[in-house]
Amino acid sequence: MDDYALGVLTNIGLFSFIALSAYLLLIAGEMSFGQQAFFGVGAYAGGILTALYGWPLPLAALAAMALGALAQFLVALPTLRLRGLYFAMATLAAAEMARILFELLHWRRSIDGELAGPDGTQGFRGIRWIFEHGIEPLHYLGIVGALLALVLGLFLFVERSKLGATLRGIGQDPELAAAVGIDVQRVKLGVAAAAGALAALGGVLYAHHNTYIEPRNFDIMLGVHSLAYALIGGLGTAFGPLLGVLLDIGVLESTRFFQGYRMIVFGGLVAVLLVFRPRGLLDERMVLWIRQRFS
Amino acid sequence: MFGCYAATWTHVNFGAGLLLLALITVGGAVLAGAYVERLCFAPHRGGSAIAAMVASFALWMQFEELATLVMPRHLYAFPLLVEGDPLALGPFTLRVDALITLAVALIACMLLACTLYRTRFGLAVRALIEQPSAAALAGINVPWVFVRVFALASAMGGVAGYLVVATHGQITPMLGMWATLKGLLAMMLGGLGSLPGAVIGGLALGLLEAHSQWYLGPQMRDLIAYLLLFVLLAARVPWMTTRSAS
Amino acid sequence: MDKAALLLSLVLAQTPQADLRCVPTGEDFVYDCSITLTRGGQPLEGARITVGADMPSMPMAHSVRPAKATPGTKPGEYKARLDLEMLGEWAVKLRLDGPVRDLLVLHYEFDSKGASPSKR
Repeated sequence: MDDYALGVLTNIGLFSFIALSAYLLLIAGEMSFGQQAFFGVGAYAGGILTALYGWPLPLAALAAMALGALAQFLVALPTLRLRGLYFAMATLAAAEMARILFELLHWRRSIDGELAGPDGTQGFRGIRWIFEHGIEPLHYLGIVGALLALVLGLFLFVERSKLGATLRGIGQDPELAAAVGIDVQRVKLGVAAAAGALAALGGVLYAHHNTYIEPRNFDIMLGVHSLAYALIGGLGTAFGPLLGVLLDIGVLESTRFFQGYRMIVFGGLVAVLLVFRPRGLLDERMVLWIRQRFS
Repeated sequence: MFGCYAATWTHVNFGAGLLLLALITVGGAVLAGAYVERLCFAPHRGGSAIAAMVASFALWMQFEELATLVMPRHLYAFPLLVEGDPLALGPFTLRVDALITLAVALIACMLLACTLYRTRFGLAVRALIEQPSAAALAGINVPWVFVRVFALASAMGGVAGYLVVATHGQITPMLGMWATLKGLLAMMLGGLGSLPGAVIGGLALGLLEAHSQWYLGPQMRDLIAYLLLFVLLAARVPWMTTRSAS
Repeated sequence: MDKAALLLSLVLAQTPQADLRCVPTGEDFVYDCSITLTRGGQPLEGARITVGADMPSMPMAHSVRPAKATPGTKPGEYKARLDLEMLGEWAVKLRLDGPVRDLLVLHYEFDSKGASPSKR
């Protein structure tokens, strides 16, 4: 398999993490335009730890996830009580603030006589841990794939458990959930932290795959895209956001046919699909139908 | 953005005068607005406003790509509104194009206020906002009202876009993102659904940004604006969050 | 930590450097590029390079098909044809295979005359 195909598949995996992070918040009833900020937090944190302080990638990834969880938790704390549109705007504002903070971030360290590290708008070059440790593209794809499979497994497990029912209950009808005795605020905060960790994981893997990140990588477009992936792929199952990512990166980006028109097609698809299938292709009804068909 | 790009295309290919460009910008904006309204807002009317918002962001992606397809250079020059030196009035230096922009904005707001409060159309709009079902029962042609509201909003957007681009003398595909964010910020600061709020929000944002940029630089300028919005939202300041936005 | 720093410095001394020179072809936004690859001051030969590009100001908005570079006439020189979607600043990604595995990202401004390094 050539490097290009490997790259595309890896990208599909990477963006699935941020799509899943948006999805998690969506099923708990919140629409976030800001997951790209936590993706960025993971990317910068992970990159700094491996490139400037020689941390091994697995450890840096865990630290990045913790930081992403904390960041999203802190943003969610004051804003979760806001209604839909206002929460969305708050996440947008927070994400743009994060992006500007990345632009102001100068964390330079001298490595072997050369300055390395994030340099504001100039970006962060030289995140080369996987090259320094001889990890081939195929192996990296394997790592990304394995982590994604793990995350999906967790999602599927949670969906079938009481926690999953609680989450969806909160998403559909928060008042009812509260009436039944669920601490809606507490659960949502937990969901937020998990979503932050998930986005950050995608970010740290992205930074190492690309070896170079800059603040512009984490702008609103990424946030809108991740939301769109979850919304068109479907909110009925964790495979929904994956489907969304596949549709955009797998079909639209990779096929020659759509060259130059990818966003036009994707944008149109999102708008049209939202009219007919507001919960996406693999929405709850479709998932139920599939389950009944194959049981 | 669509309007501005239509005008740029005209300018680049045919070289047109300022007034014609202004008309094309507004016309283009209205066209784009109609498209967005039909696809994003009409179908979601009874349902979720957020779905409409996401759909409109998706269409924004389309416009951005369309712009790059038709006009592939990243930056294009746009004819300036006013050539020449700024006015000097006592200790102050005033840019003529900024003054024109302010004047146009004030006139547009007054016209809008007149329309909303003195015409039958305006009455229908206000009735629709207060009590949608009652308005429909009273015989108001709801879809048609929305179409006209959108056309009006798009036209305003076109005017604003024209003034911005003619003041800066250049246009890039990032204009759409910039306009969306600033517009949302100004509107939220002033309070959703309030006309005087939008004006005050816009002016306040402009003042805040100008001062922040002067003392702290362009990045802090944006940071402060977003921070303010975030803090106000988090504090659930009444004027921002009580208007219905279901 | 010292051992890690030592390892890091050893490896970093071997980071390949690349230089890009592009001329427009007749077709819209297609450029013929010549890449000069060096490592530690010496030309790096025998590398298999795949060239891709992304536009930093509009992330995820473009899809430039990566091109494989062919060895040029001089040692350390490679040629590739880059088909971009528009003019402006691009982050050119050179994925290296062969004696060295690496991924280099270079920022260049593409216009009607060719490519010049971005003033960043």
